[in-house]
Amino acid sequence: MIDLVWLVPALPLAGAVVTLFAGKRLGKTAGWLASALVACAFVVATGVLLDLVALPAEDRTRVVHLFDWIRVRIFAANVDLLVDPLSVTMILVVTGVGTLIHVYAIGYMEGDPRFGRFFAYLNLFVSFMLLLVLADNYLLLYVGWEGVGLCSYLLIGFWFERPAAASAAKKAFVTTRIGDTAMLVGIALIFVRFGTLDFGSVLHGAGPVLAPVIPEGTATAISLLLLAGAIGKSAQVPLHVWLPDAMEGPTPVSALIHAATMVTAGVYLVVRSHVLFEASEVALVVVLIVGLVTALYAGISAIGQDDIKRVLAYSTISQVGFMFFAAGMKAYAAAIFLLVTHAFYKALMFLSAGAVMHGLADEADLKRMGGLRRAMPVTATAFSIGALALAGVPPFAGFFSKDQIVAEASRSQGVGVWALALVAAFLSALYIARLVFLAFAGERRSATEPHESPPVMIVPLGLLAVGAALSGAALGLTVDGGLARFLEPVVGAVLGAPGGLSEAALAIVSVVLALSAVAFAWIVWGSGKVDWLALRAGPWNSLQRFMNRGMYVDDAYAAVVEKPGKAAGRGLRTFDERVLDGAVNGLGALVRSLAAAGRRIQTGVVRSYAAAFLLGAVAILVYVGVRL
Amino acid sequence: MSTPIASFVVLSGILFAIGTAGVLVRRNALVIFMSVELQLNAVNLALVAFSRMHNELDGQILAFFSMVVAAAEVVVGLAIIVSVYRRRGTADVDAMSELRW
Repeated sequence: MIDLVWLVPALPLAGAVVTLFAGKRLGKTAGWLASALVACAFVVATGVLLDLVALPAEDRTRVVHLFDWIRVRIFAANVDLLVDPLSVTMILVVTGVGTLIHVYAIGYMEGDPRFGRFFAYLNLFVSFMLLLVLADNYLLLYVGWEGVGLCSYLLIGFWFERPAAASAAKKAFVTTRIGDTAMLVGIALIFVRFGTLDFGSVLHGAGPVLAPVIPEGTATAISLLLLAGAIGKSAQVPLHVWLPDAMEGPTPVSALIHAATMVTAGVYLVVRSHVLFEASEVALVVVLIVGLVTALYAGISAIGQDDIKRVLAYSTISQVGFMFFAAGMKAYAAAIFLLVTHAFYKALMFLSAGAVMHGLADEADLKRMGGLRRAMPVTATAFSIGALALAGVPPFAGFFSKDQIVAEASRSQGVGVWALALVAAFLSALYIARLVFLAFAGERRSATEPHESPPVMIVPLGLLAVGAALSGAALGLTVDGGLARFLEPVVGAVLGAPGGLSEAALAIVSVVLALSAVAFAWIVWGSGKVDWLALRAGPWNSLQRFMNRGMYVDDAYAAVVEKPGKAAGRGLRTFDERVLDGAVNGLGALVRSLAAAGRRIQTGVVRSYAAAFLLGAVAILVYVGVRL
Repeated sequence: MSTPIASFVVLSGILFAIGTAGVLVRRNALVIFMSVELQLNAVNLALVAFSRMHNELDGQILAFFSMVVAAAEVVVGLAIIVSVYRRRGTADVDAMSELRW
């Protein structure tokens, strides 16, 4: 079965080709076909998992050679797929959550004039994402990396008739491009240093002897360049600005690409390359700081958002920040654990939010929701399960994964970092509780009559809710639980550093914080006793705007990058029009005026030409005569 | 004794001067054309005279070339003049100034 792993990316790719060319003719079948192919990929991935588990733990890294790709003198890159616990975990998440989101999208996108093309893009995305996580060398990974970026662009801008969607797509593409360029330089540097791009040679073969092999400065440079790519793709500070705007895309896209899979590619890259990061003194510290700052920043910004999807977007940024934070502490298994559980509960929440918007005639403003629990009981329940998982309330998935990360912070990083991590966790609970109370509790504020979504959308919600509720306990009841032990061949054993508070005490602190955040959100936004709209308009106005605008980072970029860029563009345009074009035009005008003067000689009188001819002949003769 | 070379040169010069004057002052294309022929023949005369003086044939050969070229030129030139005359009813060169600025 492991040899058949190529089917996993190939099936969605086939689906993309078919739905792209025959999407119109297939009609609604296109959606079912696309979903079925991703489901088949999931089945194959499950088969690969079973085969892999049957092998002894130290033998669970297999490279499936498909074909030689590039072979130029010393440079070689093959299309090889790497099957190991990490990549299998990733493909299971991508295909599993991907299947459910595909099915949901059949209902969500019904009646869209480009229904078939939507599934073509979605399938293409899944295929590239699977290639990204299955690639056995950095170049093939980069192919997948850019492929998902392309699909992200296409899908954010899927409703390109809307100017906001078109410009959001452009913004996402350009912003991630900054990181991607740095990453490409990093990959080139890896080749220069190692003479190969294969994971096996660069990472595993090197192993503990890596540090003496390459100087630390090189390791730092490579790691930071790769990190820049990860920061762009995973929407971390300071390249996070594209993700909130990316919510202009259809909701299934937000769920699949901008929550469950693509934005976690950066985490995957860091965890996959952790040997390189560990060879450098500062790289992991930078990862940790980026993650923590992002988690706090996005957590605060999320509280100020009124658009239901933008809350979730900032929430995603914050959660991925947590993953980076974990990776920065060398708690790679915890990072992947959060990645998996987050994929479930964040996809669940996005799809529920999509169901809410579906039932409210595309209303996304929290101010005009409220009381939806009565009209949409299933959606409300599903969303609440996702929210509880995110808030870290046991026994839902997020509790286990986030608690592991916070616990690791308390063990290895000291009180300050631990406290900041707790603040970030508190913020997560606060913003998501606010969202739940504003949307589902209280009285109805919407103008339209809400209605529940069709079964094709509700069933995926139910399955994801099961995942969001149970995946945490199933995969990681303890620090070295199922997933951590499974990942051990790739990321090493969980260290379990001594010190810090006991497990139970940490868990109690986390739960108390989460519950107090929920209680606080209930008092302010849920109970109806606090007139939060008036407070917002009054004394808290500047704070609200500060959070709503994402701490003015976009405005800062507009002032620092966009404005000078546009000014420089205008200047260059003037230079081009005036100086360059001016020189050419001036030359032309000069020739014209000379010619205007010169053509007066041509009188048209034949005899004057003859006289001039004679005079010329005489002049030449005289000249020759004098010379002689 | 033969005629002195000076006579030929003077005659050639007179003929050339008449031809040149004709080209410059006349307006009828046909007359200008005839004047050009006069100039050519003045040159031919000088060539032949000098050729005899030097007892060499080069000049006479050149005169033949010049006659052949003149004949060809006459063919083309007359054709143009006839054609222009048919089209406009005149052979006045001053009337043909459409190609000037």
